[in-house]
Amino acid sequence: MRRPVAGMRQEKLIDLVRRSPQRLVFPLMGYPGARLTGSTLRQNGFNAELHFMSICKLVERFSPDAAFFMMDLSLEAGALGLPVRYPINESPTVEEHPVKSLADLDQFKVLDPLNDARIRSFIRVMELMSKNLDIPRGGYVTGPFTLAGLMMGASELAMATIIDSGLVHGVLEFSLGVCKRYARALAEAGADIVAILEPTAAFLSDGAFRTFCGPYIRHLIEDMDPMMVLHICGNTSHLVKEMCKTGAQGLSLDAPVDFPSIAGDVDPDVVLIGNIDPVGIMVQGTPHDVRRAVKDLIDGMASHQNFILSTGCDLPLETPFENIEAFMEEGRRCVRVCDGHATLDPAMMA
Amino acid sequence: MPSEEFKEMQDALEAGNATVVRTLTEKALERGVDPQVILNEGLIPAMGRVGEKFKRNEVYVPEVLVAARAMYAGLDVLRPLLAKSGAKRAGKMVIGTVKGDLHDIGKNLVRMMFEGAGFEVVDLGTDVSEKRFVEAVRSENPDFLGMSALLTTTMPAMKTTIDALKEAGLRESVKVLVGGAPITHRYARDIGADGYAPDASSAVDLAKELLGQASSSAAS
Ligand code: B12
Repeated sequence: MRRPVAGMRQEKLIDLVRRSPQRLVFPLMGYPGARLTGSTLRQNGFNAELHFMSICKLVERFSPDAAFFMMDLSLEAGALGLPVRYPINESPTVEEHPVKSLADLDQFKVLDPLNDARIRSFIRVMELMSKNLDIPRGGYVTGPFTLAGLMMGASELAMATIIDSGLVHGVLEFSLGVCKRYARALAEAGADIVAILEPTAAFLSDGAFRTFCGPYIRHLIEDMDPMMVLHICGNTSHLVKEMCKTGAQGLSLDAPVDFPSIAGDVDPDVVLIGNIDPVGIMVQGTPHDVRRAVKDLIDGMASHQNFILSTGCDLPLETPFENIEAFMEEGRRCVRVCDGHATLDPAMMA
Repeated sequence: MPSEEFKEMQDALEAGNATVVRTLTEKALERGVDPQVILNEGLIPAMGRVGEKFKRNEVYVPEVLVAARAMYAGLDVLRPLLAKSGAKRAGKMVIGTVKGDLHDIGKNLVRMMFEGAGFEVVDLGTDVSEKRFVEAVRSENPDFLGMSALLTTTMPAMKTTIDALKEAGLRESVKVLVGGAPITHRYARDIGADGYAPDASSAVDLAKELLGQASSSAAS
């Protein structure tokens, strides 16, 4: 079911969820689209038209309730000039993490990340999606803590949270600026949803998250137009309460988190997005395994309206198409049931 | 006598206070305490406790890394003395993250726990090719080769490395340990590794167990 998305910016993610008579269903998927255009991930990462076509084909084939472009955690770091490796069919990765002191940041401060060709290419993909797709269109931005980890090295950043918090806050101030600038550009390009990718924060305690991650996410989210979602991979059960305080309209959480048991900790206006195992189930499972996992999750979340069926993280390139089909079908079969009542919108039934 | 002194050292280590650990290590040496005793009764048990707490989610990655840094501060003082006295190391390990994989936090924790347990560790870093693993096993002659992989796409590199060790005729000379979030016991067995551990402190226990087996079978 398609609906025009004009004027959606005023709307919140939870409104979208409540307005829909069915569970919203969208896997985090971009990479598998490259198989539908017969292209490589590297080609998609440099060519906006191709990248957009790959996403289009995924939308045509699976009709998800929202579309995202491809995940790329190296984009912002690459735009700052850090060395990035671009494998043909794997995600690009940042190879060096040169920031050791606040002075090391100076060389980056003079750069405008939006001048980078790859950043421009992703903004262009967003524009094309916004002009041509009639479902909510989403993009990603690397979170300030994760970008700081790419600049300093994740282990160094982890240690610095304890022994040199001044350095950490300095790098975070800077990375926040970069994230904001790119997120704004995505918003201007027409993004309805922007998901902040913050995987490196997964190893923080809740206390450290409160100091080094949450406040920066809150700043990033503040006065952004699109619906802002926070995505952290790994087991983040201990961080859910803190993540709720960031102002994110949705929390996209990974497979190790037990949704039914944390749902009570989450504000009913904040949407939980997830969390079928992208590798264990979606790549390595059979369509039957996928259906069972989806059904179990939907059943477990039956009494929670604030839920979108998705995957715990981005689907790998090699995800079998029949598993994505099984995921969509099983998700769609289930009419939303809330507090024991089917909450079908009467207007929709007329 | 030592237990009180070591308690202070151990508290400092667990709190990640490198300066205090270094100073207390130096003071202990000045008073004539055997470096081996400082290592075995001071530093090692404290690092072991940090590993246990991490396993129980009582502390997180940053706390473990900082405790390990404090441990190194003490170890750096002891190292030359231990080498001179020809003190026996618990064992030797070569470790790295496999080809194509740049995740290194888990691998670093494993390295630190092994060093904390008195092992000598050679760290090859991340994105290590089969060839480099094989060369390091040849030149370092370790008891253990540790491989870490966090991506499903890079896991197969563990198998190809084991195959490369066989081809080089080195497989029998080293025990291969594997780990990382997607790795399971079963996978380790299937690819012909000698052991798998879900976390860094279990990995140390496993290594000790395997060493024990090796020495008892050598004795019999
Ligand atoms: C932090 C992180 C990153 C950081 C890495 C920083 C760094 N320098 O390490 C960054 C942001 C750079 C990153 C990048 C990517 N990541 Co990442 N990342 C993570 C995350 C959130 C945490 C990993 C971590 O450090 N955990 C903490 C440590 C302490 O745990 P550990 O590594 O498991 O180690 C313990 C044990 O496993 C064991 N152990 C580890 N090694 C060894 C070795 C031996 C011998 C033994 C015995 C034991 C052992 O002991 C350790 C301590 O107890 C995981 C999520 C997760 N569920 O793990 C994803 C995850 C691993 N990443 C993932 C992905 C897909 C990627 C990217 C491809 C993302 C992208 N789309 O661009 C890139 C790939 C980069 C590359 N080529 O390597 C996926 C992998 C999916 C899969 N199964 O293939 C995960 C699982 C997230 C997800 N759900 O999708 N990532």
